[in-house]
Amino acid sequence: MTKRLRIGYVPLTDAALLHVAKAQNFAAARGIEMELVADVSWANIRDKLVAGYFDAAHMLAPAAIAVSLGIGHIKAPLLAPVALGLNGNAITVSNTLFEALLQEAQGDMANPRVTAKALAKVVAKRRQSGEPQLTLGHVFPFSSHHYQLRLWLRAGCIDPDEDVRLTVVPPPFMVETLRKGQVDGFCVGAPWNSLAVAAGTGAILHQGTDIVRDCPEKVLAVRAAWALSHEREISALAEAVADASRWAAVPGNRSALVTLLANTAEHAVSTATIDSILDTPGSPSGTALAATGLRLDEEAIKADPAQALWLFAQMVAAGQTDYSDALAEAAAAVYAPALGPPIPHTTATPAVFDGPAFSPNDIPSYLAALENRRTRAG
Amino acid sequence: MSRDLRIAVIDKNPLRAAILEDGLRAAGHLNVVHIDDTADLLDRIHAIDPDVILIDLESPSRDILEHMFKVSRSVARPIAMFVDRSDAAMIDAAIDAGISAYIVDGLRKDRVKPILDITISRFNAFAKLKKELQSAKSQLEDRKMIDRAKLLVMRAKSIPEDQAYALMRQVAMNENKKIAEVARSIITAAELLR
Repeated sequence: MTKRLRIGYVPLTDAALLHVAKAQNFAAARGIEMELVADVSWANIRDKLVAGYFDAAHMLAPAAIAVSLGIGHIKAPLLAPVALGLNGNAITVSNTLFEALLQEAQGDMANPRVTAKALAKVVAKRRQSGEPQLTLGHVFPFSSHHYQLRLWLRAGCIDPDEDVRLTVVPPPFMVETLRKGQVDGFCVGAPWNSLAVAAGTGAILHQGTDIVRDCPEKVLAVRAAWALSHEREISALAEAVADASRWAAVPGNRSALVTLLANTAEHAVSTATIDSILDTPGSPSGTALAATGLRLDEEAIKADPAQALWLFAQMVAAGQTDYSDALAEAAAAVYAPALGPPIPHTTATPAVFDGPAFSPNDIPSYLAALENRRTRAG
Repeated sequence: MSRDLRIAVIDKNPLRAAILEDGLRAAGHLNVVHIDDTADLLDRIHAIDPDVILIDLESPSRDILEHMFKVSRSVARPIAMFVDRSDAAMIDAAIDAGISAYIVDGLRKDRVKPILDITISRFNAFAKLKKELQSAKSQLEDRKMIDRAKLLVMRAKSIPEDQAYALMRQVAMNENKKIAEVARSIITAAELLR
């Protein structure tokens, strides 16, 4: 018997596998009718999932962890049987800031260490001349976009809370706020960086993969309480996502995938832009500028608890919560691969371009190393 | 008596915002400011320093408010999301109506609840009005189509108006369709064969 599920998503390129699972009838073949409902904010996605308006949702992985841990007024345990991909973000800066960084940069601008240090000089000069602080946008307090900005700033010994102003800008407003000078740069997902470049308002400074390789991004989230009584549906839906992932990995399906993503995009995005978004940065076939390294392959959708722990560590480093073993355990438990499809591959571990290596088994040491670095620098 | 609460309404629909503002004023809340859903939202809110923020769920700016209540540095007073989450009925009603609210931390629930009640009922009234307007519009549209199709049938078959209408109704009944749908098919066919 076919079961109908309402699934909320935000119209971004990385909702890809949900669109594929529906359009290619992978869900239908497993007895699931997917009703995909586009929404405008991550807060809405969270509230509608928690309140039961959605059965499942395309959700920022750290937002799913935050709500499960009760960080920020709402506590509702969620589970992610499968992830929806890795990477996809980029840091874009205004043309003015790009020029200023170019002036200060000592070395290759493609190196985030070089740009972070250049940014520190720009920040210091602005302070000396009494100019307002630089404002950098991201998409949600609990987002890898936010953490990627912090990790980049840290490499330049810039205090993300004191030296610059971090703010949330809804992606549809990013290009406009950059044009108006209300933000000087932002970290956002596809296709928004490409659209800012196309509009001539900014330059992509770094791909997300330059900051964090294999960065956790969105997950398929469900309520833990609902999961208890809907194991079959969750498993079928997660399997359909895995089918979609395998389908998307077949080179012959690339143009069908690109067309589907262009058709399901809420804002006008050309198939050429989508095509390059799906490229690996620096790959000889793609335009390096727009290629995000967005990964939709099977390895990229495995809900590995180690990734949840990495995100939890970033939350602690950002001062959003304190560390405790119990919280870490609860964060890891949000990623529930047991409910998802069996994926034989080992999962990619997020690797940051700078700072201490992360070990899921010893988060306090990782956090201490991050903190030390900051104190030494300050 | 405590001072008037300052209420900010973020809604890109000015008509609905006006209806809500009117409702709040009628209940004695005179300190209501409508903010358009724009990019300099943080500055506007900072200037108004509201006790209660009501926001349309269709506004992507909601995520900006989420950031505000995590980082109180950007606003004078910390802001929290409305009602405690145990009040499931209120949350359902708010989501149904399409609104969310943020309040200054520590504001008593009994002061906030009447405001939320008014907001929910005004949003619902507006949605109902919109639906009725749409339905009236489409009824008018249907009637126009039926009249046009009737004329086409009258001309094609050289029959009077009542017979043309009876014929269309008969076809609609036979095919289990609405007469307006039959009318649209007739118009499409006539345009095709012209």
